[in-house]
Amino acid sequence: MQPLANVTQLKPAARAGAIEVKNVGQVFKTRSQDVVALEDVSLEVKPGRFVVLVGPSGCGKSTLLMMMAGLRQQTAGTITISGAPILQPDPDRVGVVFQEASLFPWLTAEDNVEFPLALRGVPKAERRAKAQDALKLVGLDGFGKRHPHELSGGMKQRVSIARGLVQDPPVLLMDEPFAALDEQTRMTMGDELLRIWAATGKTVVFVTHSLTEAVYLADEVIVMSARPGRIVDHLQVQLPRPRTYEMLSGDAFGSLRDRIWRHIRKSA
Amino acid sequence: MSARISAKTLRLLIVIGLIALWELLPRTGLIPELFLPSLSSTLIAGWTDAGEYGHALAVTLYEVVVSMAFACGGGILLGAIVGSLPRPRVLIMPMVSSLYAVPLVILYPVFTVWLGIGSESKIAFASIYGFLPTMLATAAGIQTIDPQLLLAARSMGATLSQRLVRVIIPAAIPTVLSGLRVGGALVIVGVVVSEMLISSAGIGYLISRYRTILDSAHVFAGVLLVLFLAIGFNAVIRWIERKAAIWQTGTRAGQANDEVASGAMQPAT
Repeated sequence: MQPLANVTQLKPAARAGAIEVKNVGQVFKTRSQDVVALEDVSLEVKPGRFVVLVGPSGCGKSTLLMMMAGLRQQTAGTITISGAPILQPDPDRVGVVFQEASLFPWLTAEDNVEFPLALRGVPKAERRAKAQDALKLVGLDGFGKRHPHELSGGMKQRVSIARGLVQDPPVLLMDEPFAALDEQTRMTMGDELLRIWAATGKTVVFVTHSLTEAVYLADEVIVMSARPGRIVDHLQVQLPRPRTYEMLSGDAFGSLRDRIWRHIRKSA
Repeated sequence: MSARISAKTLRLLIVIGLIALWELLPRTGLIPELFLPSLSSTLIAGWTDAGEYGHALAVTLYEVVVSMAFACGGGILLGAIVGSLPRPRVLIMPMVSSLYAVPLVILYPVFTVWLGIGSESKIAFASIYGFLPTMLATAAGIQTIDPQLLLAARSMGATLSQRLVRVIIPAAIPTVLSGLRVGGALVIVGVVVSEMLISSAGIGYLISRYRTILDSAHVFAGVLLVLFLAIGFNAVIRWIERKAAIWQTGTRAGQANDEVASGAMQPAT
């Protein structure tokens, strides 16, 4: 894919795809009290890494992801992506994939993938070509003319990933993208995502509830505690790639999984 | 396939049967011509006074079209405001909902005092009559848009106006159309009823006048015209719905599923 001409001016090229979260806090003001959702969260993600955020429900992991996407403003601290602060959604730097595929039901798969390009007035021919490339990348070559209701849950998420990648941003943020899928589809989609990640070299930040999914996919797992959300552990997954189904029953896998589970049980 | 054809033929047969009964029952004297004039005498009555009916139809059509513009335009506009902004919703919705239960026809005499017995009072009455369901449907259509779609659009850098044109409007279209169907039908009711009550022109006026002189054939000629008006309106709405469905396939999944079931659309793999 060609890089777009009007990309936000980034400082050093080496920083493209790097994420820096510094002392970030989030306080929700309700009528009766202030709820501290996140407190003093700092983390650094190097370009091209696959990082998974896990934690009990309500630990603010999705909130943190939404702030990285520029969809929500933190009440304290700074978040920089590719070396510049993220103050509002910037599809040139960050693509987002949501839990529900969030496809527009009145558009075909390819029109959905073209949507972010259409918003910026990219010419039709160029749009179509990029959408075809993205659909091919996610394994949906030939399904472009279908509407979302004619696609399975896994295929919808593939379209959604294609839409997140179509502008070729260095960072892909994924908010529990496979949570609504059945177990088998979920495993397949995990492998598919790793293949796409390896092919594109994106930085991926992935939020999930599933510890198995976390260890299976990640280079690094960041474990968060329940409200107020804090980072309680940051572990490196040294398992070789490509990851295989057999690793799930190995000792290395099990001990990583147990370590995460102990943190979560303690804070939940 | 054969089942579908027979259903269609059956429908046609029912219509033909009703038309035949309309002609035969009064002819054979089973129903007096005063209660139900035969189809042929109704058509003859309409034909001999075609000029009068034509003029009445023009008046009624004019009132219907103007009222529909007010009812639908105003209903969609206010419905959009009420549907998207919580503060006006809190202020207006309870009033609108209770107003909906009031038989609005009680207002019509007031309108004739204010606006006279010409077209203006009919237009005012029918506009308000058709406005409420259109507004309520539009408000509901906008309120029920999946917030995830708007969030996704925002993550892709959509501005407020882009979200309106590319997400909110297409997502709200099916609900708004169903509101227009109800609202438009009520506009026709409102115009004809108000013409029948107090007026000097229009189909409703003709029906009411011929009824007072017990000329049933002429009454039924007017009824037939109103019937055609309603059928015509329905055809227009169906045409709009089809046009919108091409743009809107996803939320009208039922249609597409029919296509799949009948084998018109085979999976690609």
